[in-house]
Amino acid sequence: MKTPAKAVTGKAVPTPAEVAPSETSAAGATLPGTTPAEAVIAPGKGEKAGKASKGRRSRAVRAFARRLAAGIAVLYGAATLAFIALQLIPGDPVATLLGPATTASEEVRERIRAEFGFDRPVLLQYVGYLGRVVTGDLGSSYQLQRPVWQLIGDQLGATVQLAVAATVLAVLIALVSAVTTAGRRRGVRAVATAWELVAVSLPSYWLGILLLTAFSFQLQIFPVVGAQDLAALVLPALTLALPIAGVLAQVLREGLEAALAQPFAITARARGLSQTAVRLRHALRHAAVQLATLTGWLVGTLLGGAVLVETVFGRSGIGALTLQAVGNKDMPVVMGVVLLSAFVFVLISTAVDLLYAVIDPRLRAG
Amino acid sequence: MHVFTIFGLSRIKLGAVAGAMLLLAACGSPATSSGGTSDKSGVTGSASEAPVKGGSLTFAADTEPVSFDIHVSSQDITGAILRNVFDSLIAEDASGTFHPWLAESWEVAPDLKSYTFRLRRGVTFHDGTPFDAEAVKVNFDRIADPATKSQLASNLLGPYTGTTVVDPHTVKVEFSAPFAPFLQAASTAYLGFYSPKTIAANAATLGSGGPVGVGTGPFVFTAYTKGQEAVLTRNDAYAWAPKTGGHTGPAYLDKLTVRFLPEASVRVGSLNSRQIDVAAAIPPANAKTVEANTNLSLLKTDYPGGNYSIYLNTSKPPLNDEKVRKALQRGIDIDTNVKALYFGQFKRAWSPLAPTTPGYNAALENSWPYDPVLAGKLLDEAGWTGRDADGYRTKDGKRLIIDWPLLPAQYVRDQRDILGQAFQADLKKIGVEVLRPQADIGTYLERVYGGKADLADYSWSRFEPDVLWLLFNGASKPQKGGQNATFLNDPDLTAWTDQGRATLDETVRKDVYGKTQQRAVDLALVIPVYTQSQVLGLGKQVRGLTLDANAWPLFYDVWLGKTAQ
Repeated sequence: MKTPAKAVTGKAVPTPAEVAPSETSAAGATLPGTTPAEAVIAPGKGEKAGKASKGRRSRAVRAFARRLAAGIAVLYGAATLAFIALQLIPGDPVATLLGPATTASEEVRERIRAEFGFDRPVLLQYVGYLGRVVTGDLGSSYQLQRPVWQLIGDQLGATVQLAVAATVLAVLIALVSAVTTAGRRRGVRAVATAWELVAVSLPSYWLGILLLTAFSFQLQIFPVVGAQDLAALVLPALTLALPIAGVLAQVLREGLEAALAQPFAITARARGLSQTAVRLRHALRHAAVQLATLTGWLVGTLLGGAVLVETVFGRSGIGALTLQAVGNKDMPVVMGVVLLSAFVFVLISTAVDLLYAVIDPRLRAG
Repeated sequence: MHVFTIFGLSRIKLGAVAGAMLLLAACGSPATSSGGTSDKSGVTGSASEAPVKGGSLTFAADTEPVSFDIHVSSQDITGAILRNVFDSLIAEDASGTFHPWLAESWEVAPDLKSYTFRLRRGVTFHDGTPFDAEAVKVNFDRIADPATKSQLASNLLGPYTGTTVVDPHTVKVEFSAPFAPFLQAASTAYLGFYSPKTIAANAATLGSGGPVGVGTGPFVFTAYTKGQEAVLTRNDAYAWAPKTGGHTGPAYLDKLTVRFLPEASVRVGSLNSRQIDVAAAIPPANAKTVEANTNLSLLKTDYPGGNYSIYLNTSKPPLNDEKVRKALQRGIDIDTNVKALYFGQFKRAWSPLAPTTPGYNAALENSWPYDPVLAGKLLDEAGWTGRDADGYRTKDGKRLIIDWPLLPAQYVRDQRDILGQAFQADLKKIGVEVLRPQADIGTYLERVYGGKADLADYSWSRFEPDVLWLLFNGASKPQKGGQNATFLNDPDLTAWTDQGRATLDETVRKDVYGKTQQRAVDLALVIPVYTQSQVLGLGKQVRGLTLDANAWPLFYDVWLGKTAQ
């Protein structure tokens, strides 16, 4: 039996986060996948509310402008790099588009060349492409003869569904694994660390087949073929989630252990909080800061993993679309997906910066 | 562990039923799963049961069409799926005989430059538009129009000049040169008919599939989810099935779902757990497992047309020397390697043409067996007598190197890369170094179809010996969409393959195509390797499934019987 957690409601006590030593605040400045500018300007905790609100507003506008400019730069860079990469792929683009098994005549080839502008100088193609992108026109797929926006739009829902489900699962699994084992006996930790390492190193392709064989082909709990409903989402989401959960759990446990070793945790315990309450209410908040730094990696893993998972499970989605587009050198689709991914990264990293302030009150400016 | 329990239970439960079923299967469909040769009539299930209408069937395909435009796509899978949606003017049975379909009868002009079809009346498209002479013209003109960017259908139309509407139910299709293969071409799904209304409204988007694909066939293209599935539903108005079908009137199935599962293990697992009814492309390694499952069976047919063969580039050294070419042909142990890699499921080939193709030259069988000693002697005679430090042959200090580019992984079928490794090892034994550089598809096409590589390997299925024209005629230049990777314009081969497509006289065709196969092997322009097989796995509940002349499954006659479990 643990001590009842009544004392927690005592408002007179400063919250643990406020009394925490500034050691962890350094984490905010060294985050990968976020714009460093925000992380640096944030720790203005010494400043008092006496400053004019006007100055705060102009600072916010400046910060916003900076973020917007950075976002546009990232998008431009992504579009340019993708264009260059596709140009560097050797071979006649028309031959690639048609594939090896074709009897398309020279006339048809010329027609395709002219229609897609392959006969124009590369620089002109590049400028033309950027011009269209700026006006919101991503062009039409060479292979499917449909606007790229429409294609991506059709496939996006399935991938978002998969990614969200995988993220939720991954976070839940990681939370359970880390919170229950952080700072526990050696044996318990070893078991938890072991499964996490295995999960991280499993190729998701193989993991998918494994889960399918067990839960779909043998136990027949989750169908792979039927209606693409919630039951059909479980296995693909789990395949995508497990390796991510492994990483998240490790980072989370480390953060939890660091936080639990700090004086505020001991103080909280001394005030009569149960071990679980300290973990969930106080230590977790510290650990979550580090978790948020992984968001960039997370988004990348989700997008990359979706390609494999969607192929193995025969699901529609951006991953399957991308795979086919890259294989067929369907440039407008590839570029569209690249731009979309860059956009998602910009959006997420911005959101994460804002999230830091929520998780870590020390980062709240003014 | 679990799997045995399931099977154990089912065996006990089945008891007498299974015995009876096996008996029926044994007399009803003798060659369907026995690795027989051309078993196109292999019908699953027994004939004694009365077909049942209704139900839905899921067919798992291994590839997904890039384009669903039947006039544009050159993929087998597009034709296989859309065969259920589109009808052709005529139907061809397994023996190569033509039967009326959307055309009641036809006349071929003596010069083979025009074909007149009298069309069946009362045929309507899924959108209610009547099928008539104008519809034929609109479709054929669309295929021939370069703006359509047809990758196969326009080739099937050959030297097409136009279609004349003689009266609402008679059309005359004309060509600039004699064109004998047209009847066969007209029987393929690629020369199927879209409703003129959908062509007018959706010409540019027919490739994206779904309800815009309006045909006259037994199934309606209801929905398509990219990366997932295509859904076809029964056309209740269907009343114009050809004689090649097993019944008349509408199809039995309410719904046919084509599920795209590129992973072989997922297809096999789904079939075993009865989540799907039919699975395409069962890998040879899994064939035995499927056969061992009492609830499943295999349906196997060899693909007609061009076998999987290696073509030798004669335009440059060292393969411009016939002796070196012959040495390669005899220095590869095809028998052993094909048997080992494909578990005996695929047959080794002796001719560039598959045995199920009309005009196949059976005299070639066993005429050029593996003979490494002869191969070595031929290389000696060709002057490759030196040996370098690594044991490879040399001539004037230069090593005998053969450049054989490998397709990018996503295009490699049937583990042909592994088969290539075995051949590489065989040739090393006679002192030939084979390089297999793997690059992207663009580089591959540039090297192989540009004539820079020494060897090319591919198959080309089609139920018509005219495929030999594509493979060996001097005009079939790879740089211009042809497939003659021997880069040789041999006067005989060109004359014979031209002659074959300019006559309907079966004896002449048999003669010229037979000679073509013989000469191509004699000159060592080609090393035939194996005949591809379509290996379908199906649940015992699936009845009436047949494979057409192109080895594609036909779902028109399929119905669902009582399930065994």
